[in-house]
Amino acid sequence: MTERRSGLSRRGFIAGALGTGAAVGAGAALAGCSSPEPAPAAPAPAFVPFEGPHQTGITALPIPERGLVASFNVLSPDRKALTHAFRELSDEIRALMAGRPPEPRDPAYPPVDSGILGEAPPPDNLSVVVGVGASLFDKRFGLADRKPGELVTMPFLANDRLDPKLSHGDLSIIIEAGHADTVIFALRQLMRRTRRHLVLRWMIDGYARGIGAGQVSHTATPRNLLGFKDGTANLDVSDDALMDRHVWVGPDDGEPDWAVGGSYQAIRIIRMFVEFWDRTRLAEQEALFGRVKSTGAPLGMTDEFADPDYASDPDGKRIPLNAHIRLANPRTPETEENLILRRGFNYSRGFDGAGRLDQGLAFVAYQRSLEKGFLTVQRRLKGEPLEEYILPVGGGFFFMLPGVVGADRYLGDELLS
Amino acid sequence: MNRYLAWAAPIAVVGLVLSGCSSDNSTSEETTSATGSATETSSAPAVDPAILDKAAADYKAYAQSNIDELQRVVKVFTDAVRAGDLAAAQAAYAPSRVPWERIEPIAGLVEEIDGKIDARVDDFAGTDDPEFTGWHRLEYLLFEQNTTEGGAPFADQLDKDVADLKAQFPSVQVTPLDVANGAAELIEEVSEGKITGEEDRYSKTDLWDFDANLQGARDAIGKLNPALVKADPALLGEIDAGINSVFDTLAPLRRGDGWVLFCTEDDPYPSPRCPEVTVQPDVIDKLKAELAGLSENLSQVAGVLKLQ
Repeated sequence: MTERRSGLSRRGFIAGALGTGAAVGAGAALAGCSSPEPAPAAPAPAFVPFEGPHQTGITALPIPERGLVASFNVLSPDRKALTHAFRELSDEIRALMAGRPPEPRDPAYPPVDSGILGEAPPPDNLSVVVGVGASLFDKRFGLADRKPGELVTMPFLANDRLDPKLSHGDLSIIIEAGHADTVIFALRQLMRRTRRHLVLRWMIDGYARGIGAGQVSHTATPRNLLGFKDGTANLDVSDDALMDRHVWVGPDDGEPDWAVGGSYQAIRIIRMFVEFWDRTRLAEQEALFGRVKSTGAPLGMTDEFADPDYASDPDGKRIPLNAHIRLANPRTPETEENLILRRGFNYSRGFDGAGRLDQGLAFVAYQRSLEKGFLTVQRRLKGEPLEEYILPVGGGFFFMLPGVVGADRYLGDELLS
Repeated sequence: MNRYLAWAAPIAVVGLVLSGCSSDNSTSEETTSATGSATETSSAPAVDPAILDKAAADYKAYAQSNIDELQRVVKVFTDAVRAGDLAAAQAAYAPSRVPWERIEPIAGLVEEIDGKIDARVDDFAGTDDPEFTGWHRLEYLLFEQNTTEGGAPFADQLDKDVADLKAQFPSVQVTPLDVANGAAELIEEVSEGKITGEEDRYSKTDLWDFDANLQGARDAIGKLNPALVKADPALLGEIDAGINSVFDTLAPLRRGDGWVLFCTEDDPYPSPRCPEVTVQPDVIDKLKAELAGLSENLSQVAGVLKLQ
């Protein structure tokens, strides 16, 4: 495990624009676990701290099994009301992440707490993170001169067919927890608290399997719904220097002061045509990704974490030049600045009019610069043969508010004050 | 149809005692005035019971007078159907519903009346289900099939059902809790049924209902005004402001003494009556937020007044 972990840390590369990122802490999750057994138990569920220089849910470990992205339109009439909404939101997130128990109330009132977690919400690795979309910086709230430099409404990129009902928004909220009921509880509490201000625009939920996913599998790299390991070379969130370099906006980045410590978030709802994929020859599937399906190793190799060694394969005889992992991360010194942190989840939400399952990946990536990060990676992937099997149908670009420290602080306070 | 269930829900909640929450988890600043008194578990009434009893009596009288009006405007509608005058029947459809929509939750306490006169096609196997009667059966005929032919039996039935309502309503017991719940339920009605366009999917006259629901909520709160002024004037202020803001948002949609047809983007019930969008998505979003805020405030009324 230790070996694997250092391997991850040392390479610190991304595998591309597909992936749940849940493998990111493949060993780091064990930090607090003293068990010597070869398949140690997952760490006990905990309350994730709310306060910190960055929103803690972006890098918290373990990555819990359930995730939900909700995008909202903000209906607050003015800046003052918007400020109130962010105070309410922060206070509720603070309470939820700490597992603040409900108090008894006169039964003539409706219970404010939905009660679905009982009398005291148990620790379940719950985290909630909040981002703001480019549209929040329009004329409504007088924030236009405070917009982060690279924040735009997500454009149509290669192969995209963005559904307006699944795209963009003034605000993104991502909730992660060990169980679906914890996620639902948090969502309902947050919405109840902010109903006057926030109207749901779109929402998608799903699962991550990998770190913390169970007794046996919690150290394994998760697989996407195409059956391939995804996140093998994700960034190691326990490496602070790496996070500073690739994820957090720094003081010298030319961004507004309030934005320092924040991060750009790219959300992509990527539908996968799973029936079509399942009818595709294994050899072709592996060539499209550039990895062995069973082990996750680069083609021609046996170790999942081995360097693909593109230098030895300049003509793409072993790993095709247009394989997903090769395009996404060429592993050259020049492309190192394009590394991004992935933390998404798989989704499954019924079926379409043709009877095909509607499944795919809620891809979520964090980066210090959208241009250097996701957008560059996406440009390299444009036209990749894998496009035939996937279709980006939604998502959006958001800027993750910096974290806060202090009881009187709230998310977005420096943006709004 | 699920109005019956929704109506019963607040009463069932009474048993769920301890799943409540601290003021930290309260809904928002606008309601903290209400939740402030939440942790008190006093059996002493919040206000003089006589004031509450008067509110209930006044509200019953209000409902009664709306039922009288209902009988009159429904007859205008049904007469037009029976006379085979399609244009007149179409014109009379939406106004014939207004008094009902003002008092629907309380009138719905008369057994089965809602299912008979105001059920939607979704509650039946199809439009030709013989159990499918009332306004929406006629709406289907007049606006989807564009005829009055075959409508007379449904018109007669509607008159009869409304007459039954009028006959039975005096025996309905109206409590102060019914008044508080009635106001809340009317706003839930709007949020669930009107804003989606499902209520009047053929005629597209949802805004007539919307307005009437809102009037009914305003009037129910009006009856509770003397009690709320004493128990929680801040909450009352929020509720009044909330109702007014919805009226203000609706105001630009007024046309004469009626409303624009409710034609929304990506309408799940497309109709030739809607060649263009009349209610824009941003207006819908605004209404959603205003109604949701209002609902949260109205949900506190029973608690503030300690109604059991």
